Amino acid sequence: MTQDIQMKKDTKHTKKKFADEPVFTIKKEYRPKDVRETGLAFVGHEISEDKSVMNQFLHYDQLYTIRHGLNSRFFIGLLDGKIMGTRCPKCGDAWVPVRTHCWNLDCTLSVTEWIEMPLLATVHTWTIAGWSGRSSLKRLPIVLVYAIVKGSKVAIANELHGVKPWDVEFEMPLKIVFKPKEERIGAVTDFHFEPADTWKPSPWNKEKERIKELVDPVYEWVKTLK
Amino acid sequence: MTEKVCIIGGATTPFDYGPTGFESIEGGAAECVKETMQDVPGFSLRDLDLIIYSHFSVHFGHQLAPEWIIHDHLGLVGLPHFRVENGGNTGGSALYAAALAVMSGHHDVVGIAGWETMDSVAQSQGSEFIAMASDIRYELMVGGIYPIYYAAMANKWMKENHVTEEDVARIAVKNKNNAMENPKAQWYRNEHKYITIDDVMNSRLISYPIKKYDCCLMSRGVAFLVVCSEKYAKKVNPDGYVTVDGMGLSSCTIRAGDRLNNPGWTERYGPGYPGMTEFAACRNSAEQAYKMAGITNPLKEIDFGEIHDAFSTSEAQIYKALGLADKQSIAQFLRDERTSMHGDIPMNPGGGLLGYGHPVGATGLMSIIECYYQLAGMIPKKHLNKKTVVPDAACGIVNSHAGTGTSISNFIIRRK
Ligand SMILES: [Zn+2]
Repeated sequence: MTQDIQMKKDTKHTKKKFADEPVFTIKKEYRPKDVRETGLAFVGHEISEDKSVMNQFLHYDQLYTIRHGLNSRFFIGLLDGKIMGTRCPKCGDAWVPVRTHCWNLDCTLSVTEWIEMPLLATVHTWTIAGWSGRSSLKRLPIVLVYAIVKGSKVAIANELHGVKPWDVEFEMPLKIVFKPKEERIGAVTDFHFEPADTWKPSPWNKEKERIKELVDPVYEWVKTLK
Repeated sequence: MTEKVCIIGGATTPFDYGPTGFESIEGGAAECVKETMQDVPGFSLRDLDLIIYSHFSVHFGHQLAPEWIIHDHLGLVGLPHFRVENGGNTGGSALYAAALAVMSGHHDVVGIAGWETMDSVAQSQGSEFIAMASDIRYELMVGGIYPIYYAAMANKWMKENHVTEEDVARIAVKNKNNAMENPKAQWYRNEHKYITIDDVMNSRLISYPIKKYDCCLMSRGVAFLVVCSEKYAKKVNPDGYVTVDGMGLSSCTIRAGDRLNNPGWTERYGPGYPGMTEFAACRNSAEQAYKMAGITNPLKEIDFGEIHDAFSTSEAQIYKALGLADKQSIAQFLRDERTSMHGDIPMNPGGGLLGYGHPVGATGLMSIIECYYQLAGMIPKKHLNKKTVVPDAACGIVNSHAGTGTSISNFIIRRK
């Protein structure tokens, strides 16, 4: 390993490159066994009774590499149970989700600096999902909030756990909770929000009743999923 | 001196989903061109000097550069072509591009063909594909699909503007019931029923406050449209052309959460706007279009619109962004049904995305075509009856809308 890095240093000035090539030393794979790249394949067809229309089934399965590049420290931070933000050294604006260059045109794309953010946030707005994409159906209903991590100028979306769906409210104080270290994958799903310890739900009201009426069938429906 | 931009005709295939939507994309495009030629016998494909293709996602199409298949099929070798892609605002952006081409004087007759085949994949897979137009690094796997982002924005907007679930349900009822008079509309072809506010309120939860009937439809569909100079319009369709008198295109953040404190908006509209609730790109592009068309009071000067009702809630938000109502008046504006066929500014007489359908690359074109039919007096011919005719329509607005309000265009179109 150290030898590799040494070799890199030695060859550094022989070629002009935009940046040094990273040396990847930590590599993890956790794909489910049934996920693999099989390439393009026709896997079936159907033809209408009068033989005028045909449908053909094409399957492809593609592995993408998301190269996080300059944003990498945010995702590496998640593995360490940290929310990394960035801050503009010129105007002081700070963000989670991060910006690697400032959004203020007066700062002429100044490169931002990394800062560790407090694990505290406030609900800006919220919704309760009763339907979602294929990969999220079994987790319904999901309380999704856009929350402002303390110190950030912007809001970030994530799930709110530890609350009845009808009890979520605007401006409620939150804490950021990470999955156990061994379950983290360096994605935003490594953390979620929970109500701050001091928070208590507000009394029952008409809106809560309406939400319960909408959400109860979702709980029932999810039970029927395999 | 710039050329006046005109529209002389256009058509869509029936919008549909699944087994009944069986046209191939190139076959569908050919049928749309043929219908246009029937309406405007003077128009020939030979007259085109540019064609712009309007298509959102090759994920749905299992084919890269599918526009080349359509182009080839239409017999247009040698004609310059390119494709425009701008999310849900793909159709509006294609018109913007075509209008620029004509205005510049560099092109005279520009075709636009748009399509989407969202029934190529399972419906829940389709939702995930569309969600890939969010910032997947931050939003895709946190339970996120588009209706959820819209619901989070709408929930706060409705509270701030004192708008109720029933208020927005009226929009869903209006558009789906309008679609019942339109034989090409997906709602007419599939669900085929008139609905009530109760039906909307009782439909299943998608993401609070949005229910199933507040949502648009995933669709397969193709559309074609001819944009041209006034000289050409006068030659081939002197009594049936319309003019694009105003247009605007604007942009906002991909992640809705990044609209808070955004210096680009603070600079234009002052601090606190748009937050996560208002469609700033809609307001901004409408202002551009109004200025160009000389409109100072949109509510008085615009007769009707075909606008991007991906959700009943977003149609309500769009009314406000278009300046038809403000914080004080919007709730009453909805309760008075100002935008229904019996109101003073009917919106989506053609059914909109909620009723006609939303095959993304064809959607904006469908809105433009419906607006054109209305202004050209062709609704009785194209719809089943006169219920969806806007009497004496002289000025319409078309709105095309992408992402979470990430790209939005507006057009003011007038009867010649
Ligand atoms: Zn700055």
